[in-house]
Amino acid sequence: MSKGRSEFSDNSAYGGSNVPVVRNVFFRRSRGCPLEGLSDEELDYKNIELLSRYVSERGRIMPSRISSISAKKQRKLALAIKRARVLALMSFVEQ
Amino acid sequence: MSLYESVFIARQDISAQDVDKLSEKFSKVVTDLQGKIIKKEYWGLRSLAYLLKKNRKGHYVMFGVDASPEAMAELQRQFSLSEDVIRNMTVRVANIDKSTPSIMMRPVGEKAPERSGDRSEKYSDKRKGGDE
Repeated sequence: MSKGRSEFSDNSAYGGSNVPVVRNVFFRRSRGCPLEGLSDEELDYKNIELLSRYVSERGRIMPSRISSISAKKQRKLALAIKRARVLALMSFVEQ
Repeated sequence: MSLYESVFIARQDISAQDVDKLSEKFSKVVTDLQGKIIKKEYWGLRSLAYLLKKNRKGHYVMFGVDASPEAMAELQRQFSLSEDVIRNMTVRVANIDKSTPSIMMRPVGEKAPERSGDRSEKYSDKRKGGDE
């Protein structure tokens, strides 16, 4: 019994330290899509400068949960990056 | 008739004049099949992101075309037949801006044109609204 109780208190202490992290996530969520208001012509396979901002160091497409891009823009962005890769404007893998 | 953007990459070891001749040849393919070349851009000798048929660089040429699907199929067939073309891509587009050159024509390091400057202002207004 007493052992169980001590575990319990440990857990609550752990939970207490977690609170600021949760708050942080909440704060980050409040930012809007960074590509909001961007026209379709702008989000294009030719615009490598823009596209390369949403690609990891290894050349992978960044997940929208990190870049906080809206689902609609993310679909267009992914298509544009894939087209740029075909034309060797961007690489598939950066070694 | 539909609007297309067609890009091809020519081998690195041919001259810019040869590239001109090549693009003349390809635009003739389209015009012979009642298509129209609305826009033609030479992006120059760019370095490729990865090797293409052992080429490190390539001459990029883009066409803005208003043509039938059949004409585009023929153009793509000609691309694949040509030994000088190492890669090609054709995509359907909603509209082609005849007057403004595409972003690739902008010299490296130059600032974005006024239009996007206006947009960024609009952006910052929106951001302010979101924060409140």
